[in-house]
Amino acid sequence: MQETLALPDYLDLSPDLVKRFRTIESRETILRIEHLRKDFVGRNGDGAGMPPVLGDISFEVKRREFICVIGASGCGKSTMLRILGGLEPRTGGDVRMNGHSVSGPGADRGMVFQEYTLFPWLTVKKNVMFGPRMSGHGKDASEAEALQWLDMVGLSERADAYPHQLSGGMKQRVAIARALANYPAILLMDEPFGALDAQTRCQMQRHLLQIWKNVDVTVLFVTHDLDEAILLADRIVVLGARPGRILEIIKVPVDRPRHQGQLLSPHFLAIKKRLEQLIHPDDSEALKDLPLMRMTQVGDEAED
Amino acid sequence: MIQRRVTDSLPTDIDQTSAPALPARAVLSPVTAPPRLRPPSPAFQVRKPISSRANLWLTQGAFLLPLLLWCAVSYLPFLWHPKVNILDPGSVDYFQKGMQVDRAEFRDENRKQIAAGGAPATGVRENPVYLPAPHLVAKALYTAFKTPPLRDGEPWLHESLGHSIRIITLGFLLSALFGVPLGILCGTFALVSRLSEPFVDFIRYMPAPVFGALSVAILGIDDAPKVAIIFVGTFFQMVLVLANTTRSLPAALLEAAQTLGAKRRQLLLNVVVPGVLPLLYRDMRILLGWAWTYLIVAELIGASSGISFFIYQQAKYRNYDNVYAAIIIIGLIGLGTDIALKWLGRFFFPWEKADA
Repeated sequence: MQETLALPDYLDLSPDLVKRFRTIESRETILRIEHLRKDFVGRNGDGAGMPPVLGDISFEVKRREFICVIGASGCGKSTMLRILGGLEPRTGGDVRMNGHSVSGPGADRGMVFQEYTLFPWLTVKKNVMFGPRMSGHGKDASEAEALQWLDMVGLSERADAYPHQLSGGMKQRVAIARALANYPAILLMDEPFGALDAQTRCQMQRHLLQIWKNVDVTVLFVTHDLDEAILLADRIVVLGARPGRILEIIKVPVDRPRHQGQLLSPHFLAIKKRLEQLIHPDDSEALKDLPLMRMTQVGDEAED
Repeated sequence: MIQRRVTDSLPTDIDQTSAPALPARAVLSPVTAPPRLRPPSPAFQVRKPISSRANLWLTQGAFLLPLLLWCAVSYLPFLWHPKVNILDPGSVDYFQKGMQVDRAEFRDENRKQIAAGGAPATGVRENPVYLPAPHLVAKALYTAFKTPPLRDGEPWLHESLGHSIRIITLGFLLSALFGVPLGILCGTFALVSRLSEPFVDFIRYMPAPVFGALSVAILGIDDAPKVAIIFVGTFFQMVLVLANTTRSLPAALLEAAQTLGAKRRQLLLNVVVPGVLPLLYRDMRILLGWAWTYLIVAELIGASSGISFFIYQQAKYRNYDNVYAAIIIIGLIGLGTDIALKWLGRFFFPWEKADA
């Protein structure tokens, strides 16, 4: 891969996109992260003196925006999402949802996790009813709500199945429906399609874009898959490791509506190249060769 | 040579800086196993399920094998049979008809008699009285319920059994009444756990029977101290076992529930409890078996009663066939209860996979 295509500048936005970003920026801020910091200090003080997991993270998310967070492993992207969700305390800075400082989990921030977290003892329908029930809605109202969301993710026929009877992709669709049934202001997604096979993954990405288009929800999506990030996001927040910090926030120069066919378009490749540079700089650990010795016969090389 | 093996003599003109090769003998040559044409039999495959037909056969075999062994030892006179039942005492003055003596003794006495010119005794080899033959036990199983007690006022077998079952049920329910909530709370709240578990752990190591004398002194000699022994024997174990099981609930489920707006009380009642219920149910099935163990102790303190007293009594009269019958009845009750509970569990917890 020595030869290089002539790629456009990844900062180059089409007039349509410029207009779109202007619209987004005119919307109100849903989530404001200010100088967020996270140190891991154990009970015995171990971990003290280590660089923080998250150093100094600041950015804003506008209503109805789709943000992807990417970064090499260990950059604290999942930790950041868990702090936003209120599942982990921060050690510095502030997180403001609609102006209110976050101090614990709440129904205004729906979460979808990589591992399957459907309640195995509840049917699909009752899983989706869980949120409304917890916030005190009646059984009938919650059920109507749940059926509507199941319809949205195309699973109304499986309403009475138990989670263990569903495929991985279906489980995550139910998890999305369950989170949306609470009408969260923001949907926090932590590599939700990470455990799915490539084909299901593509399908899920398409589903998610459709849902996002039709529901008034903002999405903050953590992934390590660059294609996924570019395909989904308006803006991509690139994190670096040790300490976890923002390397760059990039406006994705790929036109909407997005589809798999854009994967090889010049703008797609341009931003992908930039992301690769950010995540795997030339001196990065990932590019080093293994200290291997040859264990094959001479003249039997697999590649030259 | 298709074998993947390091070549013995490496040409020297090859650039070895990127991948220096070690001398060949430093590397183990790959093991070459002869190809297997037939797939390996599933019988001894690590963690592989076996067919349901084989399953059925093996389950029956689990009972048939010990039974066959018992039959063999009982009905094949050349296997074991260490005693001799005297048919005719001959000239041995202390032998009597129907008396059981050791084979060695029988042989010695006869040798002496022959040497002295007396008539030797005759007898048949048999097993000791404490190992009755299967058919005798089977008969005892059948007649045990129809045989009136030896003395007036003593309970019939079915009354003894009923009494035992009552004690177990009462003791275990009492234990569950306090143990299940406490176990769940311990597994959920660190505060409850720290406050109760160390003490529970302390008592847990005391054998329940040591409380026998104490519970009789406090509760009298009737059923109350027996129920108390079962309670002590199961409650403390139950709290620790259930607490640990409750802790095994994946934290991810609790987190998911929290992000869906569940507050503390709702987490406990709508996530923790339903989430661990099938596992707690399984634990309780195991603990119920322990309750039977403590029953045997419990029934012999204070006024002896129940199935243990029946066994004790029959052993005293040397009616070992009845003893075995009673033991088998306990086993059957245990097995029956467990199978019934397992079946009920599938009905209660339809989301659990069949084998869980």
